[in-house]
Amino acid sequence: MAPTTVPVEVGKTDIDDEIVPDRPWIVLVWNDPINLMSYVTFVFQKVFGYSLEKATSLMLDVHEKGRAVVSSGGREKAEIDVFRLHEHGLWATMQQDD
Amino acid sequence: MARKRAFIPPVERVRDGFMFNIGDDERQLVTRLLNELGQLLMDEAGDPRLIRIFPPAYHLADDAEADAEYQRLMREDLVASRLAGIATVNLAMETPGPVSEEVMVSFVQAINGLRLVLGTMLDVVEDHDPDDIDEDDPLVGEHHLYNFLSWLLDWAVRALGEPLTQQDT
Repeated sequence: MAPTTVPVEVGKTDIDDEIVPDRPWIVLVWNDPINLMSYVTFVFQKVFGYSLEKATSLMLDVHEKGRAVVSSGGREKAEIDVFRLHEHGLWATMQQDD
Repeated sequence: MARKRAFIPPVERVRDGFMFNIGDDERQLVTRLLNELGQLLMDEAGDPRLIRIFPPAYHLADDAEADAEYQRLMREDLVASRLAGIATVNLAMETPGPVSEEVMVSFVQAINGLRLVLGTMLDVVEDHDPDDIDEDDPLVGEHHLYNFLSWLLDWAVRALGEPLTQQDT
């Protein structure tokens, strides 16, 4: 179920090469076989201040659907969120919202 | 009234913070593993065993340039953050008394970092059965370490999430 390699979407030709500044960025967390469900829930609470309910629901989305959008905003904010998730060992990436 | 408890968790919330109820051998094992990870981070940040420690930030192929820039700017900070956490945990492993919540957060981050490296080495997959260990596997030691760290992390996360209850004071 979990990807064991780095998730890269290739062949998407409908996206402009240019990074358009006014579209928000979304931060995604991907399912992986190593991080414990309890730990992922804890990290969502700690990094974003989410309630246990919201953090659990996001964790289950990651686990069951393979990925979940955990935050969004400007590029700089998204990059900080990704960095903080990386500090906690989560498989987080960002992309500009379609 | 003191009540004799049948089971003492390896990590628990106490009045003054968090207590590690693990022996000296286990404390030294954690420190040894973290020192090995620290050495790897300092000397060989490109080692394939560290791939999960340094995930890509931009996953779309179109954003490859942005990702290269992120890795260039942020990897050093990520290493520094990891090393600071390792130093905090090593100090905590030498402390017999309770530690603060901040230290416990460093602990779960550090233990999870070790699991990421071991899990990568063991090629852990979804539905990994921790009890299914082949004793002839050349990495049998790593399997046992991975299980030990998973057990420790799970209790640590549980302690962080639990409010202090009256009977534990």
